Amino acid sequence: MFDIKTLLIAIPALPLVATLVTAVFGRRVLRQRSHWPVVAAVAGSFLASLLLLNEVHKAAALEDSNQKVGYESVLALWTWAAVDNAYDLDDETDAQGSQTKDFRIDVTLRADPLSSIMLVAVTLVSLLVVIYSIGYMHDDPGYWRFFTYLGLFIFSMTMLVSVSNFVLLYVFWEAVGLCSYLLIGFWFQKREASAAGKKAFLVNRVGDFGFALGVFLLWTTYGTLDFHDTTTKDDGTVAVAMADDEVTTAGVLGQERLTEGNYKTGAVATAICLLLMLGACGKSAQFPLHVWLPDAMEGPTPVSALIHAATMVTAGVYMVARCSPLFFASTDAQHVVALIGGFTALMAALIALTQTDLKRILAYSTISQLGFMFLALGTGTLVGVVAAMFHLFTHAFFKGLLFLGAGSVMHAMGGVIDVRRFGGLRRLMPVTHWTFLFGSLALAGIIPFAGFYSKDTILLAVHAKEGAFYAVLYWTAVVTALLTAFYTFRAFFLTFYGDEQIPPEAGHHAHESPGAMVWPLRILAVASLLAGIVLYQWGSFDGFIRKTPSLDYLARQADLAAAEDAVAGHESVEHDAHFAVMAQSIVIAFLGVGLAAFFYLGDRKEIAAIARAMDRAGLYRLSHGKFYFDTIYKFLVVWPLEGIARLCYWIDRYVIDAAVDFCGMVPRALGASLRPLQSGLIQFYALAMVLGLLILIGSLLMCTL
Amino acid sequence: MNDSPWVFILATLLGAPAMWALLPGRSSRGRMAGVALGSAAGGLLASQLHGVGDWVDSSLFAIFAAVTLVAAVATVTMRNPVYCAVWLALSLLGTAALLFLQGAQFLGVATVVVYAGAILVTFLFVLMLADPEGRAPYDRMSWEAALSATAGAVIVGILTMTITTVLAGPRKTAQDVALSNPDGAAQAIEEHDRALADGVLTERHVARFGSELFGRHLVAVQVAGVLLLVALIGTAAIVAGHETAPQETPPEDENEPVSSAARREA
Amino acid sequence: MMEHEIAWLHNYLTVGALLFGIGLIGFLSRRNLIVMFLAVEMMLQGVSLSLVAWCRFHNDGAFGGQMLVLFIIAVAACEAAVALALFLMLFRRRGTLDIAVWQQLREEDQPAYVDQQIPELPEPARTDWPKLPPAGVRPEADPERTDYRDHV
Repeated sequence: MFDIKTLLIAIPALPLVATLVTAVFGRRVLRQRSHWPVVAAVAGSFLASLLLLNEVHKAAALEDSNQKVGYESVLALWTWAAVDNAYDLDDETDAQGSQTKDFRIDVTLRADPLSSIMLVAVTLVSLLVVIYSIGYMHDDPGYWRFFTYLGLFIFSMTMLVSVSNFVLLYVFWEAVGLCSYLLIGFWFQKREASAAGKKAFLVNRVGDFGFALGVFLLWTTYGTLDFHDTTTKDDGTVAVAMADDEVTTAGVLGQERLTEGNYKTGAVATAICLLLMLGACGKSAQFPLHVWLPDAMEGPTPVSALIHAATMVTAGVYMVARCSPLFFASTDAQHVVALIGGFTALMAALIALTQTDLKRILAYSTISQLGFMFLALGTGTLVGVVAAMFHLFTHAFFKGLLFLGAGSVMHAMGGVIDVRRFGGLRRLMPVTHWTFLFGSLALAGIIPFAGFYSKDTILLAVHAKEGAFYAVLYWTAVVTALLTAFYTFRAFFLTFYGDEQIPPEAGHHAHESPGAMVWPLRILAVASLLAGIVLYQWGSFDGFIRKTPSLDYLARQADLAAAEDAVAGHESVEHDAHFAVMAQSIVIAFLGVGLAAFFYLGDRKEIAAIARAMDRAGLYRLSHGKFYFDTIYKFLVVWPLEGIARLCYWIDRYVIDAAVDFCGMVPRALGASLRPLQSGLIQFYALAMVLGLLILIGSLLMCTL
Repeated sequence: MNDSPWVFILATLLGAPAMWALLPGRSSRGRMAGVALGSAAGGLLASQLHGVGDWVDSSLFAIFAAVTLVAAVATVTMRNPVYCAVWLALSLLGTAALLFLQGAQFLGVATVVVYAGAILVTFLFVLMLADPEGRAPYDRMSWEAALSATAGAVIVGILTMTITTVLAGPRKTAQDVALSNPDGAAQAIEEHDRALADGVLTERHVARFGSELFGRHLVAVQVAGVLLLVALIGTAAIVAGHETAPQETPPEDENEPVSSAARREA
Repeated sequence: MMEHEIAWLHNYLTVGALLFGIGLIGFLSRRNLIVMFLAVEMMLQGVSLSLVAWCRFHNDGAFGGQMLVLFIIAVAACEAAVALALFLMLFRRRGTLDIAVWQQLREEDQPAYVDQQIPELPEPARTDWPKLPPAGVRPEADPERTDYRDHV
């Protein structure tokens, strides 16, 4: 009944329509009913995503893996831009790309296992967050605006994961950034919120600039920006490659190139990958550009859950996973990705230890988990990429859950989010308590929960790589996992255990949240519990997602390498390693939780002593001050720029403006000198006329005589 | 008959200080000097005039022209505006006589009736409202007397000089024609007089003038009628429309420059 | 005869130019609104004279120049009517016919024109009114009788 193409169009189209409806009618007609179009549309999108996943699953199973690399279904809609003969490279630079000199951007959507899984995750979390927002935002004057932005974001995000072209990817990359900006600054009357929105936007500019450069470099290197192969017919129309008799352009991630492994290596590949990684760093808040994400928590909590934990910030991971053949071509780039990921994970976890703002703890935890994902991507192996995607998937659930739980707490506490100002809420908010516990367990990586499986696969993937570099990263990851378990339960115990303490701001609001907010929590809690088991233990996540063309390419390369290894006589020690890593992971997680319980349940004398000791060593302040990245950036970037701006202002004000003013003064002075002539006495005007006439006649006579 | 421009230049040079001295604001001795200078300038210009054949015509012209011009100078220079108006009436009578001399009978009558009879008398009414004695300070002083007198005198000088130089050309040719054909001279005079009697100097002047006016220029007459009507309505509107307006009340619109200036002045 | 016609024209044009020039001087220098207007009428007369002279010179049987003068008179009448009405209004506003009162057209920041020196009023001519001679002699009064009266 529903074929893939219809579904592919329906998934982004529904939120777009809902956005337009809400934008037009929300303010005057819908008002407090503004959520209906968006909720209905996102529910429809979610159902369509499930159907699409089903279709893709069936189709991918049928696909003959020998003929093609992975499975993909591409839907070309229309040509957005076409520039003939835009490309003039020497023939020798690239045998494939130089044939096509036309620059084309086709609006194309694609369905493959990676994108369909992403679509399901995005729409599911979106749906739950949208429902949650009904309760959370119910009295806000900008109710309709909020849902308009949310709808726009969901449209952009679904398009981001389903487009099949780098330019369109960039377009929707920017679009989600815009929505993020709008939603961080949703309460723009608040100074911090508007400043945070600006900061997010500006920091992302740095990354997006790198991304744009990467896209340019891709274009000059490969001569196309499409993921898929395209065919140019004689009449000039471009369609998806189907028959052999037409001129085929090999897409960057298309079948032809993947089959032949025709990728650039060396400096160009490294440059492309690093530029793309810069973009991913901006969007996914990795180390040099991570500073915006904690501040983005100024936005409404559902936004933090949806955009800044579950979906948008994972766009970088998605993009790197999508481009894994490119990264596979450059070992240096892989190392950089892994290094950034590992460092970010550890650093963010260290910062999260001492934060007191519940949402900021979760924000640093998000950065840390994203670091985990990049670490896995940095391995460059199929297992690593699959692990990253798996962690992305489960993380979307449990981090969304944690944020929504934090929002629930914040809602009940009258907007207070500082963990030192409330405590012992487990009796007051039982549902929030239990669901938050589920989320914390998943994040900490306790065994049956989703986080355990995904984190375990990541550790495994890193462990499987050889060399000291990855060994260091592996132990970094293990320490990070310990810290993760510790700070997660620190926040949990501080919030829900200890003496019951309610801030005065809460008033008589201090009760469990309404149904629209609790039910998404319950659903997500169940998902956090089951996602790992179902997909990893009993499901075939691994087998399904490796049908993605990009990942299938990795699999084939891995097979080739394995064949060589087999020839060389290496024995596989994978199975033993798996159990060792798993055991380590379990122990670490329980250790972390136990430490947190030891320090934070009961009186907190020991932790206070440790904190004092750390403070004497200066470490506590370092962590509490977020490693002073904001200060460093302020010194290194903001102040010089401000100085330049001040200089430019001064030049503009006192040099350029002065020159302009001087030019303006000349006619003014002339006018001032002639102004007394305008005496208002009519006869002087008449006299002037007569004198002028005399001069005229006199000169005329002089000429004739 | 010398065509030297120096006569005109001299007349101009004499006329300008004459008018300057005569204008209000000078002492009575200065005015005497002005009269003397002005007479000299007028004499210089008169020396450039020509006889018009018949001595009766010539002397009539001389008398009327002198009356007109002297009255005109007096109009401009009198301190008492009522005197100004009366002198203008005299000047207009002189002009009317000059028009009669040129055969424009109807216009002469019209000038006397319309100007001297109607317009001037109305002005006199208005003058009576104000200070008719010439004691008002603004009647006893003049703007930029030197400059305006110079300007006027220079214009007169240029005009007369141009008239003389331009008219000197064809006259010579006419004399040449008359000299070259002495026999035909008397005939030519006869023909000329007959043509004049048929044309401008016709006996049935008013009849022909009227038929021309209401024949060829009928539309113009209608337009002039409309113009008179509009002027009438406009006059009524100006006077009646402001009847109720309080004195010295600036208009409401602040942005109007006139009104803001008026307010500041007030 | 031809030269006589030219002489007529020349004389009339000269007189017309003089009338025009004198009127111009009056218009430019006088400050009384009505006198200014009279000066303008005089300029018109100068033009009228020239036109009539040209009409005669060309022996125009259709009286073109005279027609023009007639219309000048008509327009002058209109002008006079409107001008008079305006003068009345202006006079009613300020109580004077001085043109210098109406100088609001000047630039915003220009100072208003103020007469620097107003000429002294000439001494009114002393008129010696005739004096009546004393009417008769004052009667002498007896001081005694003023002190005491035996009858009223």
